[in-house]
Amino acid sequence: MNVTCSDRERIFEDGTSAEWAALEAHAASCALCAEEVRAWKALSVAAKELRDYSDSPSFWPRIERALAEEAAPWARLRRWFSFFSNLSMGWQTGLAGAFVLILTVSTGWIFLGGPSKGVGNGDQSLLKSSALKEVESAETAYERAIDKLAAQARPQLDNPATPLLANYHEKLVVLDSAIADLRAQAGLNPSNAQLRYQLLAMYQEKQHTLEEVLEARQR
Amino acid sequence: MGTMGLALPWKARISSVPRERGTRVEPSEHFAGGPNPAAVDAQSEDAALAAACRSGDLCAYERLYATHGARMKNLARNLLGNPIDAEDAVQETFLKVHRSIGGFRGQSSFVTWTYRILINTCYDARRSRLRKKEVANEDSEETPGLEPRAPGAHPTLRMALERALAKLTQHQRDVFLLYEVEGFRHAEIAGMLEMTETASKNTLFQAKKSLRQMLEPPRRSAAESR
Repeated sequence: MNVTCSDRERIFEDGTSAEWAALEAHAASCALCAEEVRAWKALSVAAKELRDYSDSPSFWPRIERALAEEAAPWARLRRWFSFFSNLSMGWQTGLAGAFVLILTVSTGWIFLGGPSKGVGNGDQSLLKSSALKEVESAETAYERAIDKLAAQARPQLDNPATPLLANYHEKLVVLDSAIADLRAQAGLNPSNAQLRYQLLAMYQEKQHTLEEVLEARQR
Repeated sequence: MGTMGLALPWKARISSVPRERGTRVEPSEHFAGGPNPAAVDAQSEDAALAAACRSGDLCAYERLYATHGARMKNLARNLLGNPIDAEDAVQETFLKVHRSIGGFRGQSSFVTWTYRILINTCYDARRSRLRKKEVANEDSEETPGLEPRAPGAHPTLRMALERALAKLTQHQRDVFLLYEVEGFRHAEIAGMLEMTETASKNTLFQAKKSLRQMLEPPRRSAAESR
């Protein structure tokens, strides 16, 4: 293969091994190309000065600790809710108001089901077995309805077209994880009304999020 | 991206060790003669690592750190200019990988995806640092600090190179660091920086031309005067 001085820059940019070999052969008899090839290679050699792979023994334990903290579901939820601190004061107030309203309505929904359907008189935190059945069946129906909503929102969430949708997707993943944790805890302690309230609040948050995703699609 | 005849960036797979210049295999050689068994192994290893990380296995993250941690930290240090910010960026990258692994669809290799997160994290850190400087009314240019490095490194050459790199465009600096310092292939860099391989090669060429001009002016002018 024959190369000339005019091929030099092209070979520097995208030359094959054979072309490089031919350029080196040409450089043996061309002082200018020899100098250019030397300078070009010198840059690659100099770049190695920026390489330092020395180990830092305390670095992995630090990352590991951070990962372990991150893995706790409530920490993930807290991290998502830190998103609210980036919102304007008006939005924060509105969202806080909505959350209080949701909690009030959900508390009322459970308590105003009637004394026979609600909590026992002796222990406010325990649900009687008949009331428990009603709560569980209501929960199941509510969960099914939310699943239908989730199915409608899934196309947007699987391929989020905007950062906002990606954010909703992440929020829903965190909510699902928190719901799963709470359900597991409720399974161990089915009569604990407090857990049911928390679960209901999570479901409602999920419902609102899905509604917002569907509204974002219509916009 | 999407230019006909170019290898697609997300086909790039990353080896666990940096290559020396002489042994770097470019795609034209790499794909000749059918699938490369080493590449197939690397792909399955990459997929296994992604699956283990997705399952929340901390040992998988430790494996990722053992194979790529030093290179990630070195890249972050060269992008950010000091080891403290670099460690923060690498830690943040691991946390982001952990948070987002559920959304990783395997369109690129897991490790390419991880390095892309690292590079974006470094960009964010640089932007945030710049904003803080603006707030503090420090009218200084964004230049990486000159931190002590490994013993044996040539300090003058290193400092001259760091100063010259700071004057390149962001893309030129990134491609130069990824190719010449970290030993990635153009196909891998294309996947990380979301550009084509041709663009990566051209950017490297322009970066090296600029660096030559910046690093060798006295010698060149002397030669010209003769």
